[in-house]
Amino acid sequence: MAAPPARARADYDYLIKLLLIGDSGVGKSCLLLRFSDGSFTTSFITTIGIDFKIRTIELDGKRIKLQIWDTAGQERFRTITTAYYRGAMGILLVYDVTDESSFNNIRNWIRNIEQHASDSVNKILVGNKADMDESKRAVPKSKGQALADEYGMKFFETSAKTNLNVEEVFFSIAKDIKQRLADTDARAEPQTIKINQSDQGAGTSQATQKSACCGT
Amino acid sequence: MIDIPPYPPLDPSNYDLIVVGTGVSESVLAAAASSSGSSVLHLDPNPFYGSHFASLSLPDLTSFLHSNSVSPPPSPSSPPLPPSNNHDFISVDLVNRSLYSSVEISSFESEILEEHSRRFNVDLAGPRVVFCADESINLMLKSGANNYVEFKSIDASFVGDSSGELRNVPDSRAAIFKDKSLTLLEKNQLMKFFKLVQSHLASSTEKDDSTTVKISEEDMESPFVDFLSKMRLPPKIKSIILYAIAMLDYDQDNTETCRHLLKTKEGIDRLALYITSMGRFSNALGALIYPIYGQGELPQAFCRRAAVKGCIYVLRMPITALLLDKETGGYKGVRLASGQEIFSQKLILDPCVTVGLESLSSLTDQQNETLSVLVPKSMINKEKIARGVCVIRGSVKANVSNALVVYPPKSLFPEQLTAIRVLQLGSGLAVCPADMHVLYLSTLCDNDDQGIKALLSAMSNLISLPVPENRQSDSVVENDTSETKPILLWRALYVQELVKGEFGGTISSMPSPDGNLNYNEIVESAVKLYEKLMGSEELFKEETSPAENTTEEENDGGVEIED
Repeated sequence: MAAPPARARADYDYLIKLLLIGDSGVGKSCLLLRFSDGSFTTSFITTIGIDFKIRTIELDGKRIKLQIWDTAGQERFRTITTAYYRGAMGILLVYDVTDESSFNNIRNWIRNIEQHASDSVNKILVGNKADMDESKRAVPKSKGQALADEYGMKFFETSAKTNLNVEEVFFSIAKDIKQRLADTDARAEPQTIKINQSDQGAGTSQATQKSACCGT
Repeated sequence: MIDIPPYPPLDPSNYDLIVVGTGVSESVLAAAASSSGSSVLHLDPNPFYGSHFASLSLPDLTSFLHSNSVSPPPSPSSPPLPPSNNHDFISVDLVNRSLYSSVEISSFESEILEEHSRRFNVDLAGPRVVFCADESINLMLKSGANNYVEFKSIDASFVGDSSGELRNVPDSRAAIFKDKSLTLLEKNQLMKFFKLVQSHLASSTEKDDSTTVKISEEDMESPFVDFLSKMRLPPKIKSIILYAIAMLDYDQDNTETCRHLLKTKEGIDRLALYITSMGRFSNALGALIYPIYGQGELPQAFCRRAAVKGCIYVLRMPITALLLDKETGGYKGVRLASGQEIFSQKLILDPCVTVGLESLSSLTDQQNETLSVLVPKSMINKEKIARGVCVIRGSVKANVSNALVVYPPKSLFPEQLTAIRVLQLGSGLAVCPADMHVLYLSTLCDNDDQGIKALLSAMSNLISLPVPENRQSDSVVENDTSETKPILLWRALYVQELVKGEFGGTISSMPSPDGNLNYNEIVESAVKLYEKLMGSEELFKEETSPAENTTEEENDGGVEIED
């Protein structure tokens, strides 16, 4: 994934790329849609069509533009591209509190992250579907907290359905990343080349200028 | 090795299209078909994306080349799978054929390389770059795959010869003016030539302008090398234009051995690609760019796009057999290595999948017709490319990190029949640690020995080879007081067979990486196949309007991703 430059722009102070990671069906896309659009659907949505969403928040007087990427369903057979992890500044590891195997697989996802993501990436553990009836709960909150403590992550139980803690999760990791970026002397990365349509216009005008020079 | 639980069965088990292999062509097709609304299953037997276009760590590259090279030790055959439950089908066993031969890998500084192993992203199909005006760039823009990959410039282009000197390629007016090795007369000749080409290109765009100078139809059909002679360009300049700008392989002056004598028409097209690439993107320095983290990012970008459009991805999943209709002999589906049977209307295969010879003899004519693209082709006149990868400490040119070097035919030794291309990449592209560079080398060849000899010749020209050659190079170093050659840390040499893609109705096969520096022919084959599969529907046609709306909404006020 192309790394967004974390530099000040006209409409934001920081651009932060976040990833959602976790087993299929734990509610990653629901969390994303709840946070970015304020919407929720009870039907099982496969992640078709969802690429990334953007929402700009304000933290301590700074405008933080969050670019939040979904897996596009590639986690189902553990076929997430290594490119997905490029440039990620924060990762939400999501499991379903009613599905013990999704919790057990968090360790596998952490291994994946350690292999492909930046060493300095911020991580946060999210136990989703916390609104479900206690009789359906398979992962006690204490187990989630223990796993988070083991890996030095913050931990939230959420419900995309009832909007429990959704804002808190994203604000929390955004705050930690912003702090880390401020602490680190962000090196001025040489300008990378982004391929987009508007540059074609620039190229065309440049070509025109060049031919004008030839005429001179 | 992590004990990953077996995959759940695929549900549904019916698709419009199954694609096997995640090379560039296969991934473009999967993205295009998914974007058009087809249901697509995209498989790869490897644990990584990219197939033969992948970028791998040094150990993964080593194991991939060894396991995919000609005549590996035969592995014990797996226990026979249970026969097909469905008696309406005949299953035809598939085998994997090898693209690679003469694989030789040497490591000279194992400890250092292991320490930095995570920092390597080494291309299997290098040297390869993207021209800014490449058709693959246009496809990335149309499909939306440009969101997933970033590039940096290839800062310089050089022409080399046996003296070891690297001369700048004067590919623009500014470069011509700055060049110190060209005489004033040569500069004028080259300037005049470029002006003619620009004028011709402008005239083809604005056809009404009759005052513009144009190259005659007769000249356009003549050999490009003859046209350059007609322009009275000296041999040195001709060589630069033919091999370092038009990127030709075969010696155009040697009509006996030249397999591809280029016409002026195509030569102008190649110059046009180069010229239109200069300045297309505002912060690209030259004509050539390279994806950060390696060429493997390109197939991944198209695969991500396909997944966003609903394509299902499974890696580590070979197909073991084809399923044919018992009565008609037509294609019905495939059997996965997991034993599951999956059905589709159409199937696209990577260049390594083929039918075992023992299977062929027992097939009917109808079945043979269905499988026509899988039949191993004649052994005669196989085209090959020799490839080399070197990890070096230092740079082949002081103060330059990312550079292309071309050795025209006969520039290194008299029997050198084809151009040798060298691409050097540095840590700024996230392909190796700091203080090191990766060198990619390639040359077309008729046989393995010929190709590898040529690559070794280029290597000894550029870098210090390890002992025992060091003693010979010591004298060279003594003479060369200006610059010490970079040191070789790791090297891979291999020869890859060049396989063309083929449309076969319900079953089609995709090409192997070709010998070109860019992706135009690879992408063109994918576009042509798509049009045949989908009835001339335009690739990513629907992508322009809905994605545009979505992008506008998502990036309210955003600058990075624009339409």
